Amino acid sequence: MACILLVEDDHDLREMLRTSLVKRKYIVSEASNGKEALLRFKPSMTDLVITDLIMPDEDGLKVIMKIKEIKPGIKIIAISGGGKAGPGNYLDLAKILGADEIFSKPFSINDLMRKIEVMLSPE
Amino acid sequence: MDIPWSLAIITADSSLLNKLKSLIRKSLPSVTITYFDSENAFFTANQEEKSDVVLSDQRHLLSGWKPFLEEINDHDNDTFIVFLVDECSGGKIVEMMKEGAYDILTPVTLNRILTVLQRIPGEKEERDRLRFLANEKTFGDHIANNSRSMLSIINKEYVYEKVNATFCTAHTINTEGIVGKSLYEIWGRETFESKIKQNIDLCFQGNIVRYEANFNTPLFGNRFFEVVFRPIRKGDGPVTHLLAETFDITELKHSQKIVNDMEEEFKRLETNLPIGFLRCDTNGIIIHANRAFLKIMECEEEALIAGLGIQEFYVEKGLFEIHRSQLLFSAVKTFGRVALYTCIGNEIACRVSAFIVSDESGNPSFIDFAFEDSSRELMLENRLLQAQKLETIGALAGGLAHDFNNVMATIFGYSELLMEELPPSSPLLESVTRIQSAVEKAKSITDQILTFSRQVDQEKIPVSIDTILNETIGFVRSGLKENITIDSEILNPGLLINADPTQLFRVFLNLFSNAVQAIGDNTGAISVKLFVVNASIARYDLNKDIVADEYIVVSIEDTGEGMEESVMERIFEPYYTTRETGKGTGLGLSVVHGIIAELDGAILVTSNKNVGSKFTVYLPVLSGMDLNTGNIGKGRKLLFITGNRYESKILSLALENSGYKIIYVSDLNGFIKTLSNNDDHPDLVIYMEDSEEISHADLINIYSAIKIEIPIILISDRNQLQAAEKIINLGYVKQRLTKPVSLKEIHNAIQLSLT
Repeated sequence: MACILLVEDDHDLREMLRTSLVKRKYIVSEASNGKEALLRFKPSMTDLVITDLIMPDEDGLKVIMKIKEIKPGIKIIAISGGGKAGPGNYLDLAKILGADEIFSKPFSINDLMRKIEVMLSPE
Repeated sequence: MDIPWSLAIITADSSLLNKLKSLIRKSLPSVTITYFDSENAFFTANQEEKSDVVLSDQRHLLSGWKPFLEEINDHDNDTFIVFLVDECSGGKIVEMMKEGAYDILTPVTLNRILTVLQRIPGEKEERDRLRFLANEKTFGDHIANNSRSMLSIINKEYVYEKVNATFCTAHTINTEGIVGKSLYEIWGRETFESKIKQNIDLCFQGNIVRYEANFNTPLFGNRFFEVVFRPIRKGDGPVTHLLAETFDITELKHSQKIVNDMEEEFKRLETNLPIGFLRCDTNGIIIHANRAFLKIMECEEEALIAGLGIQEFYVEKGLFEIHRSQLLFSAVKTFGRVALYTCIGNEIACRVSAFIVSDESGNPSFIDFAFEDSSRELMLENRLLQAQKLETIGALAGGLAHDFNNVMATIFGYSELLMEELPPSSPLLESVTRIQSAVEKAKSITDQILTFSRQVDQEKIPVSIDTILNETIGFVRSGLKENITIDSEILNPGLLINADPTQLFRVFLNLFSNAVQAIGDNTGAISVKLFVVNASIARYDLNKDIVADEYIVVSIEDTGEGMEESVMERIFEPYYTTRETGKGTGLGLSVVHGIIAELDGAILVTSNKNVGSKFTVYLPVLSGMDLNTGNIGKGRKLLFITGNRYESKILSLALENSGYKIIYVSDLNGFIKTLSNNDDHPDLVIYMEDSEEISHADLINIYSAIKIEIPIILISDRNQLQAAEKIINLGYVKQRLTKPVSLKEIHNAIQLSLT
């Protein structure tokens, strides 16, 4: 079964995402900020990373860069709720830095799940 | 004896010479002395430089006194010759004096020599004067001929009997050409009749007549003269002649005119100066006010305030006394902003400075005030305050919206999870759908707040602003009731600005809907104007840094209910609305403000209660570009199957701007017609799933029936995701987008679909 690293600082949202992912039989490891995410990331195990962008400690953009450096083939989905630096900017940057998909909050969980399924299916 | 003069001494007597030298040095220090032992040596030197006085010792003149005098007089009459003679008869002295000697000293004593020498400078002066007088035949003629005035003597027949040289020069004729001629021959009959005759007649009655007039003389042309006629009579007899004195005062007149002009100019300046000028006495009683002051004080004429005390206009009682004492202490003072009542009772703010004007003995006699209306300054300060306030609210609201989106994502996610768990027949499904639509609504609000707080990136492209404006007007007009008319005046069409057309459309739409709501059910009009102003006007209007050479100004003016000033000041704040709850979110104008600020533009509002409001938008003109640079569409045809008209409208506007050709269909017939027409075959179909006229089944049927292979871009609502699967199965859907669709997304989708 595919293993997903979920990085989100908002506890409720993370919990909701975890529930949805677990329900679809993914193995989920969680992190509440960028620093933690880099600790939890296991190159040999993790297949996909879902990360928020604006977070305390290391932000999502750094997470994307570092993880892509360690495992270039990994799939990454960036999610953001906009704000301080402009959501457009952040999500665009995420895409440039290697995020495969971006979602602007609030998004449809079904859309997200469908996208994950497509991304993890063998080509 | 200060005037230096030179003395030559001819003597071979060295003891006399030494005595003389020491005597002269002591008593006449300004005299320079040269000495010679013979007359020959003297003559040689005298050719070079003449001495004023020659003291000649007769004993040592080799050729005697007579040849000596003759020799000197041949060359020179100016030298005073003093002979020193040992013994001499009276006859000889007379003879010597006759021949030109100035004095003969015998016996020679140092004292006598000194006396004579001391007399010399005075003698010299007197001799010069006499010589000058002797040179002229008559002193009077000299004066007359050298006078700068034209002088003449005229008899009762108006004939010149005598004229001076100046008169002749001015007329370029000699005396004979004038004397004996009448005045009208010289001046011309017209001039004589109009400017001379009457005054001469008056003079012959015994009066001195003085007047000023311009006369034309052959040499000097038209000049201005002061003329004086003085009667001349013999004894107590009647006036027989008159003396005419004509003095050229053109230069004087000219300089007088300059002075008058300067005075006039200063008066004009003082009158027209945009600074209110006021002169009071030291107790503040108004003596004089200029026009600007009257204007500031809303006073119709100076007489209405003259005599009043300026302190009566001060809002703060007692402040004038403080000003006054400060002035008496330091003479010049700037008081900053002072609140004043105008003549009709309005309260205004003026920047006031003043200074004391003192009389010759230094006692204060006036206080001169300068009043500058600082209402614009105040207005700008207020505007800045408002802008800072909006900035703060924006930062706060933006942060809030960001956190809020997290919460919304959680709610939306759980509602979707819940939906999955519920059996299709569950009555709770309806409730979950409502939760989801509430989240959608909340998202649109946070979007607006993020736009207001300038945290949404606008995808800027060169946009023809009048196109967008016209489209918006058309769109608004189609939904208007008959009570409101819109007229527009586009003075500078075709100009481009760098903007997101979708957002621009939103700006205008909001302003129009605001105007429409302000008019309400009454009859009213909205007038729209588009024109261009240059940078300096924009700088003045906006009072901020200018980023372009030109600005487009769009004003939207309504005849609606208008606003109080207190409302107007806060109109762009989010959730500040005067409308009843439910009529508008209170975010519309905040969003407008955010979008325009992001475009480096500005929006101003003016309003009068019960008269109407006017919103004026300033946007920097994009120079050196035309629409073709945005031509990525290359005229390819996009067929829009529209759902919500507003959304497709703004999307299509943006795409038209990028060079695509847009075909619109909103019903089945139009769709079939367009697809059957081979000449007008679209390159791409953009299908909005919420189209009510063309259902999913219709689309599928038509594609199968006509056997077309045009790629499709599907734009879905979030809650309809499953429904479109059949269309996707058709195999022509190249891209699928979920609302709201950004400009970048649709551009990318189109390009991917067409390749």
